[in-house]
Amino acid sequence: MIDFAIVETVLYLDAYPNSSAALSYYHKLVSERKKLAESLARIGKPITNMDNTDTDNWNWTNGPWPWQPEAN
Amino acid sequence: MWIYEKKLQYPVKIKNPNPELAQIIISQLGGPDGELAASMRYLHQRYSCPYDKITGILTDIGTEELAHLEIIAAILYQLTRNLSEEQIAKSPFATYFVDHTTGLYPVAASGVPFDMKYVGIKGDILTDLNEDLAADAAIPQAQPLSKNRRTPL
Repeated sequence: MIDFAIVETVLYLDAYPNSSAALSYYHKLVSERKKLAESLARIGKPITNMDNTDTDNWNWTNGPWPWQPEAN
Repeated sequence: MWIYEKKLQYPVKIKNPNPELAQIIISQLGGPDGELAASMRYLHQRYSCPYDKITGILTDIGTEELAHLEIIAAILYQLTRNLSEEQIAKSPFATYFVDHTTGLYPVAASGVPFDMKYVGIKGDILTDLNEDLAADAAIPQAQPLSKNRRTPL
């Protein structure tokens, strides 16, 4: 859900790059997201194929995939 | 370039399969006003855009439309799980099924496969932005007209 907020904020900033309120909101969301993504990667659920921190296993292709109900 | 994040932009969890609904929703996948058309439109218009700010908007929206494409696919995937032969045969989904089974093939609800002809790209930013207005305004076009007056956008 935080990604949804980030995408919308990015689009707003694209059109209104001088909004300091939007920019600080953006940074607040992004740092929160960074923490979330890191904690997910640590428990073996990396969001992208570039943040796998597991040096013994490659879990990227493990299910469930996002369109499957178990993933939602 | 694109990086894939292994999650839907918005979660989809559908309890009951429904091939009738799938038959209609598939237009959002491969129809003239669907997400594939939208993403191809914006992502290709940005190359000839002379203004950085607009190029940014076209890139970011186009990328988001790809994410929406995935959401629609997830909806269709879940609507067409575990169907009985009878359910399929009795629904309008039967004609899609005969050629694609429960695979996801971008078509319009009419059965016409996705076509780049739905997308206008002229290399002139004002023209292209007008195409975008027309395309994105397609949603209100489905609203009923009241007293012959269009609902303002």
